[in-house]
Amino acid sequence: MILLEAHNVIIHTTLHEKLVKPSSLDVQFVDFDGVRFRLSTPEKDKKNILLLSMHIRCWDELVKYGALNVLQREYGALLLPNSEPEYNVSLQLDLEQAPADQESREAFVMSLALFKRNALAAPFESAFQAQKRLEGGSQLGDLMAIHYRDEEAIYVQAGSDRVTVIFSTIFQDETDRIFGKVFLQEFVDARRQPSIQNAPQVLYSSRDPPLEIRHVPGLRNSEEIGYVTFVIFPRHFNNPAIAAATVSHIQSFRDYLHYHIKCSKAYMHSRMRHRVAEFQKVLNRAKTEQPTAERKTVTGRTVVSR
Amino acid sequence: MSNVLRPYLAAVRSTLTAALTLENFSSQVVERHNKPEIEAGGSREVLLNPLVISRNENERVLIEPSVNSIRLSIKIKQADEIERILCHKFTRFMMQRAESFIVLRRKPVQGYDISFLITNTHSETMLKHKIVDFIIQFMEEVDKEISEMKLSLNARARIVAESYLTAFNA
Amino acid sequence: MSVLAPIICDNGTGFSKIGFAGNSDPSFVYPTAIAVRGSASQASRAPAVPAKPGHLASKRGVEDLDFFIGDEALANAKTPGYGVHYPIRHGMIENWDHMERYWEQTIFKYLRAEPEDHYFLLTEPPLNPPENREQTAEIFFESFNIKGLYIGVQAVLALAASWTSNRVSDRTLTGTVIDSGDGVTHVIPCAEGYVIGSAIKHIPIAGRDISQFVLNLMRERGEMAQVPPEDQLKVAGKVKENYSYVCQDIVREFRKYDEEPLKYFERYDGEHSVTKRKYSVDVGYERFLAPEIFFNPEIYSSDFLTPLPEIVDDVIQSSPIDVRRGLYKNIVLSGGSTMFQHFGQRLKRDLKQLVDRRLDASQTASGSVLKSSGVDVDVISHKRQRYAVWFGGSLLASLPEFYTSCHTKAQYDEIGPSICRRYQIFGSAT
Repeated sequence: MILLEAHNVIIHTTLHEKLVKPSSLDVQFVDFDGVRFRLSTPEKDKKNILLLSMHIRCWDELVKYGALNVLQREYGALLLPNSEPEYNVSLQLDLEQAPADQESREAFVMSLALFKRNALAAPFESAFQAQKRLEGGSQLGDLMAIHYRDEEAIYVQAGSDRVTVIFSTIFQDETDRIFGKVFLQEFVDARRQPSIQNAPQVLYSSRDPPLEIRHVPGLRNSEEIGYVTFVIFPRHFNNPAIAAATVSHIQSFRDYLHYHIKCSKAYMHSRMRHRVAEFQKVLNRAKTEQPTAERKTVTGRTVVSR
Repeated sequence: MSNVLRPYLAAVRSTLTAALTLENFSSQVVERHNKPEIEAGGSREVLLNPLVISRNENERVLIEPSVNSIRLSIKIKQADEIERILCHKFTRFMMQRAESFIVLRRKPVQGYDISFLITNTHSETMLKHKIVDFIIQFMEEVDKEISEMKLSLNARARIVAESYLTAFNA
Repeated sequence: MSVLAPIICDNGTGFSKIGFAGNSDPSFVYPTAIAVRGSASQASRAPAVPAKPGHLASKRGVEDLDFFIGDEALANAKTPGYGVHYPIRHGMIENWDHMERYWEQTIFKYLRAEPEDHYFLLTEPPLNPPENREQTAEIFFESFNIKGLYIGVQAVLALAASWTSNRVSDRTLTGTVIDSGDGVTHVIPCAEGYVIGSAIKHIPIAGRDISQFVLNLMRERGEMAQVPPEDQLKVAGKVKENYSYVCQDIVREFRKYDEEPLKYFERYDGEHSVTKRKYSVDVGYERFLAPEIFFNPEIYSSDFLTPLPEIVDDVIQSSPIDVRRGLYKNIVLSGGSTMFQHFGQRLKRDLKQLVDRRLDASQTASGSVLKSSGVDVDVISHKRQRYAVWFGGSLLASLPEFYTSCHTKAQYDEIGPSICRRYQIFGSAT
């Protein structure tokens, strides 16, 4: 697969299974960017009540940017006012009240599987709305910072005719850094192609932070950090369907990039394996045939070596 | 074989063929031991003159002969960062599998990317001209492989970027 | 960021069990199959080199990302252009390219985990060559940049899983593991967490053979007439899983069935996959006859004639003498084909008979002078037998010592893949 999917597969498959046959469960699992989930049946005898909790590192920042409103909109009554201990937010669902027909059931399960995506959507949606407000003027909106990973962050800022999203990403390994540079250079150059004229503009810098965030305190200055800027234009969020797709897509940029770096390393491995096998074939041609004379004893029995 | 490379490889080939005159030689230092003298390096009289064949600063071959073994080290052309990393990964991958390669050395000689150790047992059980063929083919193929890997990396990067950005339009 | 749960990845010949440590069941169980472009009969060739740099809109250059794994692979088996491959044979990885891609999709598509944030626990069959461990480590550390890796032997993990049984009072890693899956059954003795390789025995009777036997019996009785031919083996498999059990004595069981057929005969209802027509079959003697082939293999085929209890006894007798008591005392079952009801009790009874017979024979041979103090034989069954290896991994990875026993990326970078040849045994009480 080339593009990463937006929904969580474990939530999706588990909910479908439990809708068919409810049973007690308590599983903990993760999603990209260090998000932890827990899906459990809190009450022993009521197997149809499920509790889905999520822990995101940047929850406080997301709440500041309106995450609770978004979650309220998507999940309504399912959203619990108090989350489970050790988690940031919880949803409680009753399997018996899930819609009965196939299509709406699938939509219900899918919306739960998009829990993380919906939580992270808040800053982007508020930036889109801010841009509409600032249209025609020359002011810049607030700079929203989301520290979704230990040393990496997303910065979102609305402008009068655009929304700027800046990713700061770290490459731990030197190989990753160099591969990453190649990939990001292509992202920048891709716009030259006619089919991608309408895509967001991409800029990349490897050590110095871009102008928009230079004033932010606490930015690390080292070779390992790279900054990628996406400039999103109003045509990417002018109608709700396109806006939702843009939000899902842009959220997973860092995971997408690192996924493809790893896939290309795996591809290099398979090329190298093939090449090594070819070399060994050539080397084997150099070996001479050792004459295997059959040795027999005087009574006619053959000597066998094991 | 590209024309530019031909004199370089021809020089390596003829040097190697001349140097591959190995014979069995027991160790003079330890009784009843038989070691590749180029690795043991104990007695100076059995080591012969090392020879460097270089095409330019960045592509060199070092041949260190001795009476019963010969060590060949190659410095591969690495024009930029990407090639440097790819070369490093590739040679590391191969040296990991040195046992199945027989003539490959697990660690390269200081200053070079990859080393081979050919002893008299190898030249006795294998055909000498084929060993030389293998080394020459190796040198050609490595360069080719690294540039192909670089090309494919660029192609992948382009497609990855395209796929991501076109998804915004859909 | 709090430490994320380690990922447990048990790749078997038939199925892969994947999940997170701390859970009691794997999150995913799907076949170890990969469907790649190119026909199934083609041997693995070189990855296609793009003819020119990819200016074209076609996805030339990323064909290696065009594959499916697990259930999707089998679903796409019929699609033209894709061939299904099984990278693991007899427990060992044979095709490294396929396995690397399999792991890649498992981590990024199904688990949705960033490998840089996690520790991994993988499993390996006993007698796995150390080079395979090095290659696995190379793939995980260099391609995926994982934090740390531990490769555990499957039998030892199954022993760890047995600690959840309420009959086990002390946590020990000494015992005999009977691992019976779909293809083959292994009897593996372990002492203090190390497998006694020379004493391992394989039995060619396992899940598939039992299903085939059920099918044969039902065909003889004419039950399979209504079932479409392509579904017959599957139906036999379902009957085996739902209705089979191990009896204590065949003759008595036959008599019970003949006296009260209505009490013992069951009915299995099925649906034709295409026409949706319903059918139902009677299930009778195969309920107890099917798992009986473990204890009396001659009823199925004359290829293999030694019953399971005898094999277990042979294995323990060929192990070093000082561990034999521990091996008898802790016989652990693992794998789907050991989940028949009363399997453990029957095995214990038969094995105890063999052991007692031998002790009596040596007693009479010594002229009743030397009396043995008796040998304790115990077979441990527990609720997590089906995925015992995975569960054992989940248990061990939840212990705090797990992180110190793993090889970390820092160690790998400094020393190289050779450190991954050996792994520490940890977790037992001592």
